[in-house]
Amino acid sequence: MITSDLIRSLAEDAKPVRRLRPPLLRAFGWLCVSGVILGALTMWHGVRPEFLDRMREVAYMVAMMSAMATGILAAVAAFMVGLPDRSPRWALLPLPSLIVWLGNLGYQCLAGWEPLPPGAVTAGAAASCLTTLIFTSLPLSLLLVGMLRHMVWFRPTGVIVLGSIAVSALTSASLAMFHPLDATAMIIGWNLGTVLIVFAVMGLASRIMRRRRVQD
Amino acid sequence: MARAPNGNLRLVASGEGGGARAARSPDVDWSILMAHGQSGDAAAYRRLLEDLTPWLRLYVRRWFRDDRDVEDCVQEILLTIHAIRRTYDPARPFGPWLVGIARRRVADRLRKTLRTHGHETDLGEDDDHAATEDENRHSLDRDKLMGAIEALPPAQRTAIRMLKLEEKSLKETSGETGLSIANLKVATHRALKALKDMLSDRSEMK
Repeated sequence: MITSDLIRSLAEDAKPVRRLRPPLLRAFGWLCVSGVILGALTMWHGVRPEFLDRMREVAYMVAMMSAMATGILAAVAAFMVGLPDRSPRWALLPLPSLIVWLGNLGYQCLAGWEPLPPGAVTAGAAASCLTTLIFTSLPLSLLLVGMLRHMVWFRPTGVIVLGSIAVSALTSASLAMFHPLDATAMIIGWNLGTVLIVFAVMGLASRIMRRRRVQD
Repeated sequence: MARAPNGNLRLVASGEGGGARAARSPDVDWSILMAHGQSGDAAAYRRLLEDLTPWLRLYVRRWFRDDRDVEDCVQEILLTIHAIRRTYDPARPFGPWLVGIARRRVADRLRKTLRTHGHETDLGEDDDHAATEDENRHSLDRDKLMGAIEALPPAQRTAIRMLKLEEKSLKETSGETGLSIANLKVATHRALKALKDMLSDRSEMK
């Protein structure tokens, strides 16, 4: 196709579009809706009884706070990085709190490792954990995908990774309020694991397509 | 509006006011045109894309030498601009937005060309050599065939020459040579068989 023809057809297709609101405002909007969803879920499940006692523990509080901060900062970064005129360095914004969050988690795993009595974590309990987790993070993810859909054209990888970190962190913080077991590892595994699967499928598909094109 | 250090007018507020039309900087012009394009003004939008194209060609040419690569890349950038035109905020300068998109598409295209070039082999001087050798072989084959035709008995030789090489019809050949059509058919058939034997014999002897 000749470039002038392309320009003509693009101009014919120039329907009015609604400009995106500033990225900070959009991130704030997503965080508010996510807060409402997570709040409602927490109410519905009921805050775990020992929540206030546990908030006095430093490790627990650090985990809660750093997860919240990571969620908020990663959401802001995702909305920034998806815009062509913002620096890709915005992707580093959630890094400090992410390190604290994961570091704290790792430290707890090492220092507070107590072999659970056999039968404490059954397949049934793990499955119910996973269901809660899916129902908590799915609405957040879908909303984020809807808001960031134009990013497919621009830095999709960065936006998807940051978005999943945001959803994981917020889900983890809210699950800590109502879920009796600390399921952070499972949450991260679920959210980032899905991302990895998506990337693997995409990579495989593009490789197959490429091979087919070479054969043609 | 504020005056930039280089004296060009710069659009700071999101206004699409007529005063800014006097601006000399293309960045401001483009910003205004895009703002109109976003509200559905097809003429302004088309002018913007037409204005951008030569600039984009220059930009893309820094990385690609092949004209087709340059044009493909420019078109990909134009398509991306169109697809995400709602992400442009007229309150901000147009240049960084444009360069952000252009850089991204150039990087994608570079990756793609590197990948395809991996499957291609460069033909250097050997290319010419191969062509001559092929031509030689072709002319050798022709000489061999002509020699074989000369070695045929006269009736068969005439039949082959007139029917196959000069591509005359059976009727014409019959009229010119005085041979019957049936005789010509038989002669052609025998001639082809003889040629086949002769040429395959020779290739076996080789």
